[in-house]
Amino acid sequence: MTLLVDRFMTSFIRIGGIGIILAVFAICVFIILQVLPLFRSAQVEPVAAHAERDIGPLLAEGSLPVALGNDEWGDNPFILASDGKIIFGGGSAPTDGGNVTAGRRVTASSYDIKHQRLTIGTPTGAVIPVTINSKAVVADKVRTVVSTTNIGEALQVADKDAVVTSAGWVDHDDRRLVAAIVEQSGGRHLKVQYGQVDSAVVDLTNLLTGTPAQVLVEDHLDAILVISQQGDVTYLFRKGDQFSARQVFRPFADAKDQRVSSAFFLLGDVSLVMTNPEGINRQFSLYIHPGDSARRFGLTKEFEPLPAGARYGAISVRNKAFLVGTGHHASLRYGTSASTRWEEDLSFSPALGVINSKYTRMTFLGDDNRLRFFTLDDPHPESGWTAFFGKVWYEGFAEAKYEWQSTGGTDDFEPKLSMINLIFGTFKATFYALLFAVPVALFAAIYTAEFMHPRFKSVVKPTVEVMASLPSVVLGFLAALWLAPLIESRFPSVFLIILTVPTFACLMGFGWSKFSPAVRSKIPQGWEFMVLIPMLLIVSIIAWDLGPALERGIFTVKLDDGSVIADFRRWWTAITGLPYEQRNSLVVGVMMGFAVIPIIFTIAEDALSNVPSNLRSASLALGASRWQTAIKVVVPTASAGIFSALMIGLGRAIGETMIVVMATGNTGIIDLNIFNGMRTLSANIAVELPEAPHGSTLYRALFLGALLLFIFTFAVNTLAEILRARLREKYKTV
Amino acid sequence: MSTALPPRTESSTPGRSGLPKQAKIRGEAQVWLTGMGLALALTLAAFLLWVIVSNGLAVFWPKRITEFTVRVGTQTTTIAGELVSRRELLTNEPGKPVVSEVHIFTGNKDVYKNAFRFIDAATIIAESQPLDLIEVERLEYGNAVGYPVALKLRGADKKIESIPAEDSRFPSELNRLISETNDRWDVIKSLEKGKIGANAQKIKRLENERKKIPAGEQGVLDADIAKLKSEYQELAKQAGVLRAKQNEHKLSIRLASGESKDILLGKIVEVFQPNRMGLLSRIGFFFHRMWNFVSDNPREANTEGGIFPAIFGTFAMTLLMSVGVVPIGVLAAIYLREYAKQGPLVRGVRIAVNNLAGVPSIVFGVFGLGFFVYFCGGSIDRLFFGDSLPTPTFGTGGILWSAATLSLMTVPVVIVATEESIASVPRGMKEASLAMGASKWQTIQRIVLPASVPGILTGTILAMARGAGEVAPLMLVGVVKLAPTLPLNTEYPFVHLDQKFMHLGFHIYDLAFQSPDSEAARPAVFATTLFLILLVLVMNLSAILLRERLRKKFKTSAF
Repeated sequence: MTLLVDRFMTSFIRIGGIGIILAVFAICVFIILQVLPLFRSAQVEPVAAHAERDIGPLLAEGSLPVALGNDEWGDNPFILASDGKIIFGGGSAPTDGGNVTAGRRVTASSYDIKHQRLTIGTPTGAVIPVTINSKAVVADKVRTVVSTTNIGEALQVADKDAVVTSAGWVDHDDRRLVAAIVEQSGGRHLKVQYGQVDSAVVDLTNLLTGTPAQVLVEDHLDAILVISQQGDVTYLFRKGDQFSARQVFRPFADAKDQRVSSAFFLLGDVSLVMTNPEGINRQFSLYIHPGDSARRFGLTKEFEPLPAGARYGAISVRNKAFLVGTGHHASLRYGTSASTRWEEDLSFSPALGVINSKYTRMTFLGDDNRLRFFTLDDPHPESGWTAFFGKVWYEGFAEAKYEWQSTGGTDDFEPKLSMINLIFGTFKATFYALLFAVPVALFAAIYTAEFMHPRFKSVVKPTVEVMASLPSVVLGFLAALWLAPLIESRFPSVFLIILTVPTFACLMGFGWSKFSPAVRSKIPQGWEFMVLIPMLLIVSIIAWDLGPALERGIFTVKLDDGSVIADFRRWWTAITGLPYEQRNSLVVGVMMGFAVIPIIFTIAEDALSNVPSNLRSASLALGASRWQTAIKVVVPTASAGIFSALMIGLGRAIGETMIVVMATGNTGIIDLNIFNGMRTLSANIAVELPEAPHGSTLYRALFLGALLLFIFTFAVNTLAEILRARLREKYKTV
Repeated sequence: MSTALPPRTESSTPGRSGLPKQAKIRGEAQVWLTGMGLALALTLAAFLLWVIVSNGLAVFWPKRITEFTVRVGTQTTTIAGELVSRRELLTNEPGKPVVSEVHIFTGNKDVYKNAFRFIDAATIIAESQPLDLIEVERLEYGNAVGYPVALKLRGADKKIESIPAEDSRFPSELNRLISETNDRWDVIKSLEKGKIGANAQKIKRLENERKKIPAGEQGVLDADIAKLKSEYQELAKQAGVLRAKQNEHKLSIRLASGESKDILLGKIVEVFQPNRMGLLSRIGFFFHRMWNFVSDNPREANTEGGIFPAIFGTFAMTLLMSVGVVPIGVLAAIYLREYAKQGPLVRGVRIAVNNLAGVPSIVFGVFGLGFFVYFCGGSIDRLFFGDSLPTPTFGTGGILWSAATLSLMTVPVVIVATEESIASVPRGMKEASLAMGASKWQTIQRIVLPASVPGILTGTILAMARGAGEVAPLMLVGVVKLAPTLPLNTEYPFVHLDQKFMHLGFHIYDLAFQSPDSEAARPAVFATTLFLILLVLVMNLSAILLRERLRKKFKTSAF
């Protein structure tokens, strides 16, 4: 029985023990698993249920498909044929959606997926807006998408004999902007209508450079882009009712073939994606160029080149992704990070392609008039190595930058998820904390281990341990509500204290050593700190009261009205041009330093105390003073332990959350200014994770932040631990 | 961490052995500099503690109310309030006279819009402390300060009887009525939270059941539900009557600045006259207030009232955490020390476990949210609470997940402490037991574990102290600003592990940063901080003392 119990307990403890240890490591694995999807590219698979559908039978003789659109779910795509017929590709078989041009030929067409609008140009000088409305009917858990066409009132932009070759249409409420290129009596003209339904159509051809080939209308009714056959882009900007050419540029001026073969706006209509016949793929975005006052287009992204100019281009209305392709090649790209999410040489050659608005499906129409459906699984298109660790040129920015801004107000907002800002913030906070903590903690450790009377040890060590146990939320609250205002109003005093206290201690020691041994024995060795505590208080109080005088003497600023004002904060801004924030790195440094002092102190003190005492005795016997013994013999011997103390302190400072959350403004700036805040990895998690939707890119990006913290602290601590183990081995032999 | 090192040998202090003969000693200044490091660390620790304790205790001390007469131009006004501070404004322009101002707590937020006020000291022409001034602690709008005028009692015939403040019956009648209304509040609360709450629960349960059974057989339950609903009506009516009673009588006061104000007795917590109190009654009142703070529920966005739910939540979570952490930690430690083959692998594992203690707490919070809340909680919800989806039951933060997360975070502390104390059980004892024919498990059970109980206890207390003071991970896995009910109550099934809870540390964070009126929240933050520190320090000190005793014990028993 005993044996049985013993055997049972043995296996139980073994399994339990190993299980627990594995479970602890599973933390790391779990976090990695949460992060991995961020680095996966898009998965594109043919839809199993209906992979192919032939629309050929529905196409009239001699007519070609000219536009492809999709409903929200990607179930019921529609095709516009060159004779004006709409064909729906969903359901059990393709269906005829009727003719939307009253039998006229389609000479121009553009598809706006955001508003589900086809803009059709006819050879009779008319532009027809056609909206496709789709809704899902769920019966017996099977979704059927029913779509209807809604033909809007046509706009006659030119005479009946003019051929519309390109057209764009946007309307919001009762205002609209319609632009069309018409070919009439051998020349090409740009016709524009802005305003109400009955506003006049004006001819803006004189504003253009080159022969117009394609026109794009901006979604906010503010601009028209005209691309010429030669490859020039004219950016027409509206002010009131008037259009003027704000910018003319040639996107492929440096390429062999300067023509533009395709151009379209990304979601938000701030960025223009273009390809040239060679397949060079570029993105131009609107931003204010340095020294300029208005937004103009500039080259921001260079994508991987395509084999040739894109035949079709389709955008996602969820994010900045777009689909381009030529020949058999198709690729899904992401504007913000200029990355290729997916590319493949398909078995067929698509003439048209489209992404649905849920960003879950892609549909292609091949040259063989067959529709092919693909599922698109790309939950985190905006992530990737560049997005997290590289400089990214976001829309509206004048340069590529590191930036953290995870949420914004609009649909077309680009999440900015650079970890660099957070890593920088983490190290900034850690740096200032250690700047304060390391000298204090090491001095205290050396004094405690080497010079202090052993009687005090049993008091000092528990006191420091109690200091270590102060919850960080308490320190954070004190930092924010007590220390920060204090430092803000009395920085000169604080500055004086920092300056005078150590100086005073040195002078005190120096002066003391000048006295005769008889006088010196009044303060026994090992009791110095007891004398220093009241001295320190007195010096601090004096320095505190002298602060305002210092401020009046040095930190004065001349105001615009001629009066002189003594204010350190204004002085700092005036001298350095850097801002002064109330919750700044100094506050964090002091409080976090305070949190780290006990950790460094305890480990360093242990390492020093464990140096065998015969080393000390030998040194002292040879006539070295106690300081020489400490610094030349004991500290070098314990250096590995002291280093490991610093490492563990570093690890604690890096991961500290509450103090940073509370005592800084949590702005993710990259700036070394001591009077400015920062956003650290840990604070970022604490602030954003409660609001991040489960499984979203932000959620996983925060897990990535946690993983970085985990890896970093684990590495630092392991290094420290190995060093300590070595040190222990070393002492064994001494 | 420090404890991972082998027991210290008594280090000698070299200087003690006598001063060298020559007067000049090298490095004396540096020694003083290092001494300054220690002095600074200790002073700073003491100073911070003093800031917390003095500010925290001052909250409960009944301060005298001063009446200031202020003249601005030709206009003279009076204002009364507790003096917060007198301070000199730093002059920014050299040579300008010093401006000093008086910061007072005036109360009467409903009348003055702001409970605090700054007065330019130069405009004050008189200060006095009239004995008659009263301070009224209210359920809404914070305290009121003023002179009592009359008690307006509404009789059964709706006639109003007025007892003026000069009447000898006034004080006793006021106190009697206030205690009466306070008792009535307790009755109303127990009625609304207890009976009505239980009733609503029953109705909800029956309605859920009703959904599951076919339409024809629902009649049985319908009758039950109707009965419960009429009971509910009855109870609600009772509560309504009681609530109406609370608003019958009024206390009429006159503010120092002249306005009159009627306060419903039902809204009064207590009335006191700080200027009449002697030292003894002041001390008594101090403890009375402290007790109220510890035992009351919070009011007014947590800035008033007490912190009882936060204390309870902290205790419950910590307890739940230690229930999880102790067996796991001890089991792992026994395995590592007694069963695992000592080699580089175990050494590596030990280092890793040790280092896990250094992994930032927020990382554990992230793990807890991803694994416990979304993965485990989500699965439990899908399996057992499918009815109430998409409203999550366990798939959202709660006390169970918080405790689990913190157990994981503190498990290295317990493992390290237990291992150390197992290792310090003298070899001879173990060998003696084995030599007498005891099996390995018997040895562990009878010899090793009992001897290492103090060590395990130390580890547990340290883990609890760390868990009690931790906030960052809890913010992700289930702590809230205000929990409507405690995780342990009289409602079936009594223990609500899925419930969100309040926590002292988070309470501090929330009060200090999310509070609409941060000035008004300041006293409450300091007071809460005081209690959190007290809790954590008591735990830590007891762990330290335990460890010291343990060390001494093994020093003598080692052979």
